[in-house]
Amino acid sequence: MFIKMVKNDFYRKKIITGTVFIFITLAVLLGASAINNIANLIQSMSELQEHAMPADITQMHSGEYDQEEIDQFTKEHREHIGMQETMVLLNFDGSHIHYGNNNTMAGTVQDISFVVQNNKFDFILDLDNEKLDVQEGFVAVPIYFMEQYDLKIGDPITVKNGEYQKAFIISDYARDYEMNSSFTSSKRFVINKQDYDEMRREQAGELEYLIEFKLTENGDVNAVQTAYFEAGLPANGPTIGGTIFLLFNAMSDTAIAMVIILISILLIIIAALCIRLTFLATIDEDLREIGVMKAIGISKKDIKKVYLNKYRVMAAAGGIIGYLLSFAVVNLFNGNMRLYIASDLSGNLKYVLSLVAPLVVYIMIVMYCRHVLKKIDKISAVEALRSDIMERRKNRKYSFPLLKNKFFSTNLYMGVRDVWKRFGLYRLLFFIFIVCTFIAILPLNIYNTMNSPEFSTYMGIGKSDMRIDLRRTDTITDDFEKLQKELENDPEIEKHAASITSSYQVKNTEGSWDYIYIETGDFSVFPLNYLEGSAPEDEGEIALSFANAQEDGLNKNVGDKIAVKVGGTEKTLKVSGIYQDITNGGKTAKADNSLEVNQDAVLWYIVSMDVSPEADIHEKMKYYQNAYESAQVNDIEEYTRQTLGNIIDQMSVIVLGAIAIAFIIAVLITALFLRMLLSKDMSQIAIMRSVGLTSKHIQNQYMAGTLMVLLFGIIVGVLASNYLGESLVSMALSTMGASKIELVIVAWQTWLLFPLALIAVVWFTIFVCCNVSAEDDLSIVMRS
Amino acid sequence: MSSILEARSMSKKVELGKNNYLNILKGVNLEIEEGEFVSVMGPSGSGKSTLLYNISGMDRITAGSVKFKGREIGRLKEEELAKLRLRHMGFIFQDIHLLKNLSLIDNVMFPALVSKDANKKVVYQKAKKLLDMTEIAQLADNHITQGSGGQLQRVAICRALINDPDILFGDEPTGALDSKSAAKIMSILAEINKNGTTIMLVTHDAKVAAKTDRVLFMVDGNIVAQKKMSKYDAQHDDGKDREESIMKWLVENRF
Ligand SMILES: Nc1ncnc2c1ncn2[C@@H]1O[C@H](COP(=O)(O)OP(=O)(O)OP(=O)(O)O)[C@@H](O)[C@H]1O
Ligand SMILES: [Mg+2]
Repeated sequence: MFIKMVKNDFYRKKIITGTVFIFITLAVLLGASAINNIANLIQSMSELQEHAMPADITQMHSGEYDQEEIDQFTKEHREHIGMQETMVLLNFDGSHIHYGNNNTMAGTVQDISFVVQNNKFDFILDLDNEKLDVQEGFVAVPIYFMEQYDLKIGDPITVKNGEYQKAFIISDYARDYEMNSSFTSSKRFVINKQDYDEMRREQAGELEYLIEFKLTENGDVNAVQTAYFEAGLPANGPTIGGTIFLLFNAMSDTAIAMVIILISILLIIIAALCIRLTFLATIDEDLREIGVMKAIGISKKDIKKVYLNKYRVMAAAGGIIGYLLSFAVVNLFNGNMRLYIASDLSGNLKYVLSLVAPLVVYIMIVMYCRHVLKKIDKISAVEALRSDIMERRKNRKYSFPLLKNKFFSTNLYMGVRDVWKRFGLYRLLFFIFIVCTFIAILPLNIYNTMNSPEFSTYMGIGKSDMRIDLRRTDTITDDFEKLQKELENDPEIEKHAASITSSYQVKNTEGSWDYIYIETGDFSVFPLNYLEGSAPEDEGEIALSFANAQEDGLNKNVGDKIAVKVGGTEKTLKVSGIYQDITNGGKTAKADNSLEVNQDAVLWYIVSMDVSPEADIHEKMKYYQNAYESAQVNDIEEYTRQTLGNIIDQMSVIVLGAIAIAFIIAVLITALFLRMLLSKDMSQIAIMRSVGLTSKHIQNQYMAGTLMVLLFGIIVGVLASNYLGESLVSMALSTMGASKIELVIVAWQTWLLFPLALIAVVWFTIFVCCNVSAEDDLSIVMRS
Repeated sequence: MSSILEARSMSKKVELGKNNYLNILKGVNLEIEEGEFVSVMGPSGSGKSTLLYNISGMDRITAGSVKFKGREIGRLKEEELAKLRLRHMGFIFQDIHLLKNLSLIDNVMFPALVSKDANKKVVYQKAKKLLDMTEIAQLADNHITQGSGGQLQRVAICRALINDPDILFGDEPTGALDSKSAAKIMSILAEINKNGTTIMLVTHDAKVAAKTDRVLFMVDGNIVAQKKMSKYDAQHDDGKDREESIMKWLVENRF
């Protein structure tokens, strides 16, 4: 009999039941997809690590090099070092790499190197996570470049350097655990040993050494690093710890995944709200029905059973369907992950973990039902039979009398006041519109921020027109001098400032010595915004990046003292300021020129400059690029764009995806909401029509109410994404070195374009949904 | 006198299932004069309500013709029918059917305020007058949950009258009321009719029918008999005799 009653109920209230069912399915679908995504990420990250076996310490070096010294060092530190291998990179400038129709990779901020696969660890993989084995004449190209230049397997690539020329065919994508991310400034192309040896013989590129260590299980990274430097082994390039790679991967891949997860969480909230909404919509009817059952003498226990069973059946069915569908839907979200981390997302973890979603939704629904049923205990059969328990309870003073209306037509006014009268129902729609706006606008703001010249603030550099980076070459010091002199005499350069970054030792919180990059120079020419304090101006002052100043860094505040070893002698510096920087793992520092440069450990030189307004900046860039071949010349926007690299591209995909999701949700939920409202209001609509309103009038009422809710939803949503979003983004990015992001808000997009588009879409939805069927006999609803 | 409503071979057929139709009205012919007060009686299921809703254009007939003031309404568009209801017709129902979120007076004014050119002051005055006439002016600003059935039905009558309709339709408006409230409603309707509004009521109650000018009797989708009476005079007649004569008529015809 209960099954029959449940079945009857389904049949009688098709729309309401259908809506509840869809929302349950949706909630489970989204929840399971989000969990699925996280599970995939965790599993494939660890799988990738397992296959790639990244180094724990990587020391970059160019110039004099003797492997025997390294072997000796390795032998001496067997308790820490498990394996050692040196990868010799053949570096090329982007302009030497030709592809497609006479295009080159010139202008990339990435260092391009050709390598042979390692033997012991730090493997570069193909898309199946198998160790790349490249045949003669072929090349495996980093995913970053495949995407950046839209390369395909089978495309030719030619290396040209002076007279020398060598052609390759792309045979694979190179998935490189250590250098996948655009934040690591090098990218490794993998070729065959034969080709490599030939190129090396011909001295086609610059040599650079990656001296890599894989530690034993209990190996201590700091101990090895310190010992290495103390032994005076080759180290004129940056040192990179294994955690940095994880961090970089975290930045480009996890960051994207986090955004998607954030969106998923919002979607789950929406689904939860919708379930609540449907309960609110059905409760009147359910209560009346329960009243009838009570009146004909069915026991409370049995009533509860009927009522609960109905929702149990729905929750279970929706749960199963949503759970199964999630495995198809998740593929929409994880394109990036499939490319950069794992193509085969067949791990089993997700099947188990994403079961959480249907279970939680099921429990939520059953609990909500019980909550509603408690209310039923309190009301008598007679009360339940007198309809509209929910709405009658509030015996408020009569508000919004029709004659008070001065501005709207009566129909619009009816719609608007309905929102007020039944805010309990509309509130949920309101939240959903807020969330939809938030979902779309926040990524848009982030995208615009990343694309703006102001973003340089978060990369620890002041705003200038153009910058020239000089990196590890034999002639670096001479080039640097020459460049400065030339800039001095160039009338089209308004001002310029040079800085030198070299590595120093600094006393950490435990009292031992860590390595730190310090940039010395004059920072008053292109001032940077400081979080606290100011730039180092006097002797003995130093500014720290946010990540360095934090507790898990050096734990310093402005005014604190800090000990730095300069050329063997210890110096005490005062922290003058703290700035934001997401480059180099977030850990950098700046000091005044008076701090002696550590000549053996110079990493790079940077010259920033402003070009006079009359001069053509692109011409200038071209000129200096040609004059200093090993230099990288970029305008600031290009520099940030390329450093952020595919994050920006991915962000733009996310922005579009988010907007699409926002629209779909807005349409779907507006449609479902209205259908439910219309079926709930069936008799009221019939009454209005019986006194002479047309279906158009009634459509206008719902239009006015819903669009008003939408309008307020958009306003609150945009404000939330501008302000709340700012602190969210700052919180997320503080782990990377930027703690106070100011979102760049493009007003015409956030306040005009998006709202108008959303309003148009919702308007159309209402228009279609509210087509109150005018052809049916009106009396059906009106008869007793 | 000219007829306000004229039905010729009016039929209503509804589809119950596939190839399963039900003829509810089977070619009804009926003419209602302007200013008339007509009641429709008949056994349950005979099609009284269906007749009322179809002749008023609220539902659509499936064959025949219905003319309202000489105008064929069977083929009118939805908007035109709505306009007709708004300007020229009033309805009252057994289930009263007021709008939930409006106060009593707002319910009354609502159909008048829908028109763009409504003068709020005039509408308000008129609503007040109607509520006065029906003796519920003191409840004007109350919420609809705060009125009794009889009071609410009077509100519904006021609403039906706010746009000065030519004809008032009622589907058992006293059906759910106690006899005292029902009598009150009937005296109001009689008053309205005296002022010139045509009224057509469906009823089970001979006491109600006794106060009308003409009683139609329906059986199985057709009008099978009618009884014409003189205009009811509430001041000098308690209606007892008229009620008895209707009862006698019903028995004579073995209804
Ligand atoms: N839309 C419809 N679909 C199916 N059957 C209908 C429909 N409308 C009316 N009927 C049927 O037509 C018949 C006449 O209905 P109607 O409501 O007109 O009777 P009535 O004379 O008003 O009865 P009562 O005195 O009980 O109100 C009934 O048997 C009813 O079940
Ligand atoms: Mg009836």
